[in-house]
Amino acid sequence: MAKSSSSDNSREKLLTTLTPVVSVLLALIVGAIIIACLGKSPVQGYAAMLQGSLGSLSKVAKTLERSCPLIFTGLCAVFAYKCGVFNLGGEGQFIMGGCAAATVVLGLGLDGPVGMLCGLTAGIVVGGLWGLLPGIMKITRGLNEMITTIMLNYVAMYFMEYVFKNLLSDNGLPKTLAMPNAARLPGIGGMHVGVILAVLLGLFLWYLIFRTSFGFKIRAVGMNPIASRVSGFPVNRLVLLAFVISGAIAGMGGAVELLGKTPYRLAAGFGAGFGFDGVAIALISQLNPIAAMLVAILFGILNTGGTMMQSVIGVPTAIVDIIRGLIIIFAVAGMAIVKLPKIIAFFSSRGPKQGANEPEVATDKKAEVTA
Amino acid sequence: MGELLRMEGVDKRFGSFYANRNVTLSIQEGEVHTLLGENGAGKSTLMNCLIGLYTPSAGKIYMRGEEVHIDSPRDAVAHGIGMVHQHFMLVEDMSGLENIILGDKRHNTPLLQKADDRKTIEGLMQRYGLEVDLDQRVGDMSIGMQQRVEILKVLFRGADLLILDEPTAVLTDLEVQGLFDIMNSLTDEGKSIIFISHKMREVMHISDRVTVLRRGECIDTVEVSKTTEQELADLMIGQKFTESTYQKVDATDQPMLTLTNVSYHPEVKHGGLKDVTLTLHKGEILGVAGIDGNGQGALAEVVTGLIAPESGEVVGPDGSSIALFSPQAFIDAGFGNIPEDRNKMGLVGDMTIAENLVLKQTNTERFSAGHGAWLKMDAIQEFAEQLREENDIRCTSVSQTARSLSGGNQQKVILARELDSHPKLLVAVYPTRGLDIGATGFVHDQIVAQRDAGCSVLLISADFDEVLKLSDRIVVLFEGQIMGTYPGANPPIKEISLAMAGK
Amino acid sequence: MDFFMTSLPTILNATTLSAVPILLAALGELFSERAGLVNIGLEGIMAVGAFVAFAVGKMTGNLWLGVCAAIVAGIAINMIYAFCTVTLCVDQVVVGMAINILAPALALFGYNMFVGSNSANATGVIMERIQIPGLSAIPYIGGPVFGQQLLAYLAFILVPLVTYFFKSFRGGLSFRSVGENPQAAETLGINVIRIKFVACVACGALAGMGGAFLSVCMTPIYIDGIVMGRGFIALATVIFGRWSAVGIMAASLLFGFFDGLNVALQAQFNAAPVMFFKMIPYIFTIIALIFFGSRHAGPKANGQPYYRESR
Repeated sequence: MAKSSSSDNSREKLLTTLTPVVSVLLALIVGAIIIACLGKSPVQGYAAMLQGSLGSLSKVAKTLERSCPLIFTGLCAVFAYKCGVFNLGGEGQFIMGGCAAATVVLGLGLDGPVGMLCGLTAGIVVGGLWGLLPGIMKITRGLNEMITTIMLNYVAMYFMEYVFKNLLSDNGLPKTLAMPNAARLPGIGGMHVGVILAVLLGLFLWYLIFRTSFGFKIRAVGMNPIASRVSGFPVNRLVLLAFVISGAIAGMGGAVELLGKTPYRLAAGFGAGFGFDGVAIALISQLNPIAAMLVAILFGILNTGGTMMQSVIGVPTAIVDIIRGLIIIFAVAGMAIVKLPKIIAFFSSRGPKQGANEPEVATDKKAEVTA
Repeated sequence: MGELLRMEGVDKRFGSFYANRNVTLSIQEGEVHTLLGENGAGKSTLMNCLIGLYTPSAGKIYMRGEEVHIDSPRDAVAHGIGMVHQHFMLVEDMSGLENIILGDKRHNTPLLQKADDRKTIEGLMQRYGLEVDLDQRVGDMSIGMQQRVEILKVLFRGADLLILDEPTAVLTDLEVQGLFDIMNSLTDEGKSIIFISHKMREVMHISDRVTVLRRGECIDTVEVSKTTEQELADLMIGQKFTESTYQKVDATDQPMLTLTNVSYHPEVKHGGLKDVTLTLHKGEILGVAGIDGNGQGALAEVVTGLIAPESGEVVGPDGSSIALFSPQAFIDAGFGNIPEDRNKMGLVGDMTIAENLVLKQTNTERFSAGHGAWLKMDAIQEFAEQLREENDIRCTSVSQTARSLSGGNQQKVILARELDSHPKLLVAVYPTRGLDIGATGFVHDQIVAQRDAGCSVLLISADFDEVLKLSDRIVVLFEGQIMGTYPGANPPIKEISLAMAGK
Repeated sequence: MDFFMTSLPTILNATTLSAVPILLAALGELFSERAGLVNIGLEGIMAVGAFVAFAVGKMTGNLWLGVCAAIVAGIAINMIYAFCTVTLCVDQVVVGMAINILAPALALFGYNMFVGSNSANATGVIMERIQIPGLSAIPYIGGPVFGQQLLAYLAFILVPLVTYFFKSFRGGLSFRSVGENPQAAETLGINVIRIKFVACVACGALAGMGGAFLSVCMTPIYIDGIVMGRGFIALATVIFGRWSAVGIMAASLLFGFFDGLNVALQAQFNAAPVMFFKMIPYIFTIIALIFFGSRHAGPKANGQPYYRESR
């Protein structure tokens, strides 16, 4: 019954890939309507947005730099969710990565490439540790990682405040000293080399997730932990690793952001919002690392372009946030609409066969109409 | 006594599949009417049409001669039809009383009238001999009492027609007798009962008339006083009862798996294990018979390493005890496993068929370079295609998700995966549950073929026929204990069924 | 000890102040989870509630209109969640997260429109405190406990009402059955889908009200990020309070107490690195969960989508 023909199969694949694209377009259209409602020209606005983000090579470089931390937090979320870990702590891990890098570079007075490398390593390690904490709590006490990671975000935020106000303050100002010149990430084509690192990391994660036995197991655990356990996978260890690795990715992002991008210092607002953006990116990209990078760059375009749009046609940049929010709502709902008939078919196929076992069955008329 | 219910020409289609086709059923007042049929014969679907969970695709339903339309459970209640589901529809976290009055609308107030309802219910309890502690949390009740709560729920809503779906499957013998007493007192009061079962002995004992369903169609309605078990069985199966088609073998002396005094939560009757000692020899099928919920699950989990027993020893094929209670240790010791629940334990539904086929082997040289550092996608694909061919897995492509397969094909995927490595020992738990006849035959053939190739098989099944058909030796599990060991060739069926009932 | 006695009024005052928004949102979540819907979008709904209450209160000059508008806005936002999870059967966590991203953006946009051009709009008014005669004169505790805003009293009055609803109302019983065993509920003729929608209405309203408390009772302003993780703390409160209204109240008071402690410590030791005091409520949330947030308990069908029968 619930057997799909091959055309069905490829049709579904096509639809799933199309969904995010359609969602982006729909969100942009809604954005345009809002702009129009404010009495401004959407065409002008979007032109300004493109002009501001991709208008020249240097602007493209700026946009990519702005996308860079989002790539990291997006990948952080992708990797965790692949293993069924709903890590909302990208922001905290990112911040702790930045703090670690700052502490190592400024605190130990390291300079030059050594300082840079030590800073990056410290960021990765501390980010991983910050991810490990909720992992341990989940495995030993069964705590919901969504709540614990969010709480740890705030702890990290206040810890960072301590770092830039007390520990490494720039003469009592609420910001750290700037990273020494020689310890900063080298530039390449108008942007810092961290962007390249982010892209390489994305490619590596794709390989890790889809082409290694480790990634295979991570995915299996994410989709069905019980079957994974029956198949002999060390489920707890894999989950813990997912926490650590995703934390390390975000931590590396924090270190890169600190060492790569002006103003090269920690201050209030460092990393703010990147965690949730990463979550959005992961969900829109359907947990594909390469798609996640593209979505992150799209977010970067929206961010940089949004500022330009504000100055040219005078609409608040918050409209960009709304567009982002709409993309994710549309993408999520769209995916559901694509998959719903399948799910329903699955449930109805179990009904008559297993007889009495399955009273819960079949289609929801309303949903079918929507689909 | 008049006719209470009449279903005429009822069809229920799911897509192109007919779960019920042209079924006609007539129930008299005050009778126990059995609906007899194998798994998947369409009994439950038919009943779900009657209680408003499904809408029939065609056909008419009459109550006391008047045509009725039952579009929702509420309609069914209004017409005096109530069902006790095989898997109880109870809210475990509520008291018995709360479960019974849940959703009832006799009082037209937003506030519950617990005291008033309690009086009504206690009246019913007295009248029909239903003993229930109304204030106990349902989750803490015995299975028998939970069932009585279900019956009260139905009676409280004023049902004249009670549908009992395999009510004895989960009960002990004593509880079954109690249930039959209740059923008798119900019919004495003029209530009618539709009794669903495939246990011939009970059917003969309790029913007045029997309607036999086969593949969704109504075969015949007969009076129990004018028929025999053999005749009913013939009607149900559609062909003469045949002795096992498989050859039974004598066990060798070489032990492959020995459990000595294994206990796991022995205080839990329906799910624990108590002092289990058994030996599985090389090249035999050891069948574990027993009514569902007597420790089969725990036994399966112990012998696949999912849980560690509290006491006792498990000795593996090479004579050393498998100390590590981890699934990996059991896999390394050469165990194959056909788990109880395909979707939950056997397959990763959202992964492709190919991925599921190599689930346990991605580290091996065959499917990856450098111990898993680079998966050989071509080799995996090729392997999957090969297994698909060999096992007749019906799919459009091995890269579709395992979830999209039918139950039989999902089981074939699991079998293909587990048997490809030629395990020394195979643990098969409910291997044909929910499968159609063709797929069941395939699974049985495969299991016997493995035995003939020297594999030892531990078959755990609640399907007694299956155990009888395949096993070279049979042990009976009852409330977590081994009740006895019996030969598989010419098994003493009477004795075994008594043991399954705890005697 | 000295510190404690002098700071007691400060602590108690801050305790009730910071307990109320958490309590309101958590009660909303209680309705949601009792109907089997885990809603992690509380944070977003609260943000919208806070902004709408602030803006409408400022525009009309009537804070109660603001609170009502916040309730309506909370319901409206939560209807997105309801549609996606109940009708489309999308993963509840994913939708909740989407709400957490979309809703604050809407609030921020509205704020920019409202205040951006007119900075006189930046500060509103704060709700008046009502002193309960007699009781509020009790030394130390009288002021903070019996001199709160009406909205706070309302929140605490809701607690016995909610308890009573789940225990003695037919609707309350149906609610619980939907969260525990929706199939069973359906066989008894309970409309599972409708109850889930009703739960979302209640959740949106209460979370919106919780948000409103932040911008009309706690502070007279709205700023981006005003919720500060309180939505998630409310989620923890529901677990910690074992899915009972009284438990939730106790838990939110406890969280409030630690927030109060933080405020008092900040006031007392303003030379110390006060950010460590600010961490207290968040760290306490984690510690409370570690000790009391065991993985079982809670409605059984929580988080699972419900597929209805074919007809």
